[in-house]
Amino acid sequence: MTLVFIREQLRAPLTLALLVALPFLFVVLAADVLGEFADALGGSLVADGATALGAGWSAAFIAGTLGFFQIASAREADRRLARAGIGPFRVAAARIAAAVGLAVLAAAAAYLAMAIEIDVVHPLHAAAAILGYSLIYLGLGALVGCLVRGELEGSLAVAFVFLLDVFSGPGMTEGDGSPLSISRSAADVLLAAAIGAGSPTADWLELAAWVLGALAVAGAGFAFSARSRA
Amino acid sequence: MSGRVVTATRLGFREQARRPLLLILLVGLPLFFITRSIASTVPQPRVVPLPGGGDVLSNMQDVHGATMAAITIAFLAGLCSLFIMQSAREADRRLIVSGYSPAQTIVPRLLEIAAATGVVLVVSLAVTAISFQPQRWVPFIAANMLVGLTFGSIGALAGAYLGRIGGTYFMLFLPMIDLGIAQTPMFGDGAPDGWAQFLPGYGAGRILVDAAFAPSFNAGPELLLASAWALAALAAVTLALGRAIGLARG
Repeated sequence: MTLVFIREQLRAPLTLALLVALPFLFVVLAADVLGEFADALGGSLVADGATALGAGWSAAFIAGTLGFFQIASAREADRRLARAGIGPFRVAAARIAAAVGLAVLAAAAAYLAMAIEIDVVHPLHAAAAILGYSLIYLGLGALVGCLVRGELEGSLAVAFVFLLDVFSGPGMTEGDGSPLSISRSAADVLLAAAIGAGSPTADWLELAAWVLGALAVAGAGFAFSARSRA
Repeated sequence: MSGRVVTATRLGFREQARRPLLLILLVGLPLFFITRSIASTVPQPRVVPLPGGGDVLSNMQDVHGATMAAITIAFLAGLCSLFIMQSAREADRRLIVSGYSPAQTIVPRLLEIAAATGVVLVVSLAVTAISFQPQRWVPFIAANMLVGLTFGSIGALAGAYLGRIGGTYFMLFLPMIDLGIAQTPMFGDGAPDGWAQFLPGYGAGRILVDAAFAPSFNAGPELLLASAWALAALAAVTLALGRAIGLARG
């Protein structure tokens, strides 16, 4: 069933290509300018850190939109599947597996572009942080999907939170970033990995807590969508 | 305008009016995005190359102020048009089956796209005016209008050919890459690179810079190019709408 849900999201012929190509293209094109942008905003990012953040952002937006549209697709169809005997939790598990699979794909494309542009000192740390961005936004998209029915409104709401996050995050503002930045834990680990510093255990625990919380929200959202209202 | 066009237009607008959250987001997003971007930019000195040669000394805050409205308009007009096109593909075939001509269904959808672009344009320019004053308002508004028309049309085409998910990705990344990176005078030496001239935002982006910072109009060729992009994109949308609803006749 997971494969069916993945195929459903990739039904339009170019969706898969865009899912991979757009984060890749953004990271490559933005690599030279994000450092200048951070400087203009009063932040202090070295060029490698800016490129790494670009990879995290592109994976995040792709995954957030994906989470939202997965819930939008689930709303009608999954209730019928659950009623047909599969059960809401199995349907929700398949949905979340499909969403995570696609989010991993977007994160991999962003990571690959970043690895082409810069020499990452801690590649595994960077990969984990970009995946963290992806999964946190997957949860956000699913949450928006539960609260907002309209596809345009939902996409705009995801974009709104994304922009708030980007402008409040570490490196883009003076100081350590605002509490409004939902991806701050992922950004801290990613920036440290890009400039060759290790991250303290507290940062990893914070990132893990955000990711698990986001996955729990996404799982609850999918289960709610599949639940019978009869 | 025929009665059927008026009816279809009224129904289309009523469909949008049933979505109060959309209006809140269309007003709130430019308000937050533009105001916050300008306010958080450090006003360090910046030399801005102008169309037609020459340059002017400005600062990063004003350069950001000059360009933020266009990025916001491109993104929002594109995304609104994308979902209007999606809605047209689903609903308008039924109108054709019930006896409407293709023109009677296309015109209301084009009006919806124009109205969405108009709302975004007015809100974005009003918000910009709080923090930034261009040298000349008329060409500044015209440049943003051309951005809205071009990217609104591209969004509708994305809705027709890329689907809702692929189209949404495309309409976030295209304005960001084109107007936010390739055309903006904030980065590099301030002039667009050679490859940037092939993007849809090039002409309008240069008019914008000219209107924002030059004392007189020097962007004639760029105005022609931007108008050609807008007209070509609009013609392509009209064809795409016709093709989408025309399928119902078969």
